[in-house]
Amino acid sequence: MEAVLKNLSSTAELLAVASQSGAVAQWDKQTLSRAFHWARYCEHISSRFHNNSAIKGIMEKQLQFTNQSLRAAFPGYTDISFSDLSCCQHLLLVGLLKNPELPISIMKILFDTTSPVNNQQSDYQDVTGFCSHIIQCKSARKVLSPLTDLSAVGADVEVQGAMLMERLAALLSQESEACRTEHFLDSVLQGGEGAAGHFCLVIAAALLTTKISAAQTASQGFLLDWLQKKHSVLQLMCSALPTTLLIDLAKGHLQFRAAYCDVLKKWASDMEYSMSEGEWVQPSTNRTVSFKRLTEHFLALFESCPSLREDVENDLNALNISDGDFDVKGLSVWGDLLSALNK
Amino acid sequence: MSQLQPQNQLQQTSEPPLNVQELQFWLDKAAAWGQADSPDTRKDTCLHLSRLKDYLQLLLTHMNNMSSTTERMKTLPLLGQFLGRLCWNPYVTADATGRRLLLQCLWGLYSEHPGNALERKANQWIRKVLCQLATEEDDDAAALALMKRMGVSPKEYHLKVLKMMVALLQENIGKSCRSLVDLNQRCSCDNIRATSEACVPLVTCPEAALLIGALLQQPMTCVRAALSQDFLDALSSAYSSQCISLEEQAVVSLWYHNLSSLEDAVLSLLECVLTNTGSTPQELKQQLAQSLLPKACAQHCSIFLVANDIFRSFLKQTEGNESVKYLIQTFSSCFLRELARLQHKTSGSWKALFPQSPQSLLVPLLTRPSEMPREAWKHHLNWLSGSLQTLTEEEEEGDGDGSRSTRLEGHHKVFEAWFLLIQCAHWVQVAVWLLVTSDPEDCGPLLWLLTFYHHPTNRGHHRASQLVHAKEAWDHLHSLYSVSSCPLPVDRLQSLVTLLSPQPERPSLSPLFILNLLVNFAVFFQQSLSGSAEILQTVVNRSGLVNEAACVLRSLELRLNEDSCLSSDTNRVHLRINALQNTLTHMHAASDPAGNQAHAHINAQNQTAVSSSSTPPGSLQNDK
Repeated sequence: MEAVLKNLSSTAELLAVASQSGAVAQWDKQTLSRAFHWARYCEHISSRFHNNSAIKGIMEKQLQFTNQSLRAAFPGYTDISFSDLSCCQHLLLVGLLKNPELPISIMKILFDTTSPVNNQQSDYQDVTGFCSHIIQCKSARKVLSPLTDLSAVGADVEVQGAMLMERLAALLSQESEACRTEHFLDSVLQGGEGAAGHFCLVIAAALLTTKISAAQTASQGFLLDWLQKKHSVLQLMCSALPTTLLIDLAKGHLQFRAAYCDVLKKWASDMEYSMSEGEWVQPSTNRTVSFKRLTEHFLALFESCPSLREDVENDLNALNISDGDFDVKGLSVWGDLLSALNK
Repeated sequence: MSQLQPQNQLQQTSEPPLNVQELQFWLDKAAAWGQADSPDTRKDTCLHLSRLKDYLQLLLTHMNNMSSTTERMKTLPLLGQFLGRLCWNPYVTADATGRRLLLQCLWGLYSEHPGNALERKANQWIRKVLCQLATEEDDDAAALALMKRMGVSPKEYHLKVLKMMVALLQENIGKSCRSLVDLNQRCSCDNIRATSEACVPLVTCPEAALLIGALLQQPMTCVRAALSQDFLDALSSAYSSQCISLEEQAVVSLWYHNLSSLEDAVLSLLECVLTNTGSTPQELKQQLAQSLLPKACAQHCSIFLVANDIFRSFLKQTEGNESVKYLIQTFSSCFLRELARLQHKTSGSWKALFPQSPQSLLVPLLTRPSEMPREAWKHHLNWLSGSLQTLTEEEEEGDGDGSRSTRLEGHHKVFEAWFLLIQCAHWVQVAVWLLVTSDPEDCGPLLWLLTFYHHPTNRGHHRASQLVHAKEAWDHLHSLYSVSSCPLPVDRLQSLVTLLSPQPERPSLSPLFILNLLVNFAVFFQQSLSGSAEILQTVVNRSGLVNEAACVLRSLELRLNEDSCLSSDTNRVHLRINALQNTLTHMHAASDPAGNQAHAHINAQNQTAVSSSSTPPGSLQNDK
């Protein structure tokens, strides 16, 4: 364990030198290869222990300690944490390319276009052409994306959904307490600006994965359970995602269908009749959906799940009755909803 | 512009001069492509990609001729803008050659020791652009942040997404439509053409290989499912310069769709085989199998017709060179075997495969000896010989009178019959084998057939004397091998050796013909092994044809391995062949100077199809 911690520290120092120090001017191909080898090692460590909170904690402490000394040594230094380790090679690359002291010969090695591409995830990858391959990959994606943009969920979101499922499956297979997996999902939500919105799309893709194993079914179940408790996420999903996706989700998962209905009813119940607009609207603090849109949601849901119609109409009817069962527009959102649905 | 003149004079005359207007043209193109991302701009990019790469190569050459970045920027002020725009064009950067040339141009603008502000700025700009290209993640920021939480690195993510895209597109191709009825109806096949176009810069991208394979092999039932020609050309040139490897079926499909790639493949096979004449028959067979051409010909009649046409031209051009004949024979045998494996119905499709051959000869020649009872062979060959004889007689009659067109037609028929015979050389070998066990009265048709095989034209009316020599050779061989006592009759031996050594003054019979007969006698005649070996050894030694004899033995062995119908007792025959081969190897080790002189004399008269310098050991001059 000590050896591993020492290696982590050394790699953090290596990253600092790569991005901040003029010492890179002395680097040759061998140094470069070794540096990337160490970065790969850290990526490997990260994937090995990211589910092991005890060891992860020890490593995090070590990194903090190293950060302190590196901060003192390099004025422009940014701390690295355990979560950064999964992208260690990328960090190294960015640091190197931004370092004005990097010899052009090293850059030529990284951008070399002659060597054949080695896709194996082995430790003996050659660093030659590392950047050339990245550029090829990114460009190929751009070339092909106009052809694949036709589906509701793009290839990129599908991949993210698949990765989410993999991660959930790994967590669920190891942890006996579900809360750690929940914490993981919670932390993803708080990722930053727009993270929640993006995450909704990824969750949808994950739930819509069709070719699944038993482990993945469990992951989907867990995800749905978690969603039940996260009303804000559910609401965000229902307002931000395209209707076609929502319908597919409702068709695929009964649990989601029920939750979706609940969100729609909640939206309706929060609505007030606005005299000036002549329409039911949500409170001004949280305008996400219009009455018309709400109606469209319900209609789309009924079209794809016809069995639902009767139950929902009965519910709406009961609610309308409790509101007084008037036949006049503007008095009960339930009545108006029913008439809009039955037009 | 005036600055260019002195420079052009310093440059070598082989390079085309640099035209600044051309740079403007390409810069405008690059700007237009970068501005809008519509199907039209994408199509235009793919259309121009190949020419753009040629232009970049030209630019690079000129840049290398200049000594500093300052000079380059002065001569080509738009260069920086141009390269900068290309860096952000994914079609250029996805393509291996495009990326290489672009990067080399950028390095060309980098100065190791910048001498002024311009050069320093250029250096900074180049570093910045390259850093952005490799690490900028604006489009995927949210995705990458999420992926980092899952422990997936950016490089891994890009690769996975690319693979997912390829998989999705592959699925779409599988669902090609079957409707040929309503051309106005939209079908999903429109995207096949668009996909193939998008793959123009991706032919060298390993992740796209499966997609490219799927595009090549899709059923093509719909009119709209045609592949883009630019795609086929790009694929073809990448494959022939061995930048990529394709699956077997993908290669066959490529040849099927793209004539020039097929022609390239056949021509390079011919060149490879005919320059590498040291290979054994077994090695040649392997080479042919590896080329995938026999398989491809078996799958598509159109491919066979093209390949056969090329062989035909080669045969004509080289005037029946032995190496070419041998290649054609071996190719045909591989091809027919592949055809049989695919279980095509035989008789119906022969006409489609051999439209120019005399129809009456098709089935008789293409039927393999193994498909016929052995007792029927002699009759069959007699019939074949007779038919061919009739054909040549008709040609000769036509030569005398009749219009030019009937004469040409006659020559054509005879040539085609001979070409078919070469391709069905299994019957020629059966004829040789039968000669070993024939009576003198029965030899005629067989000898005629073999003489025709080696000398299809009757220039100078030499056939009559050739037939006489053939009979003589057979007589000598028959009596030599029938004699059970030693010493061997000297006069017979000497006559045989004389026949085997061609004299330039008189028209002679192909030594290979006689050698083949000799070897077959040695293997199959009912004589003791030692006796046969001694005869073979003596004759071969004196005529200096050791290597050639060894070659004939190897071919015979190979044929026996494939078609064991020639002998009922294959083990014994193999042992016998091995023993004879050993005899020859020992002889070769102790080489005979007199023999070598004769050998050199023969080889000096050889012509090879492709290179005039090398003398192939196994081929003899075809003296007509």
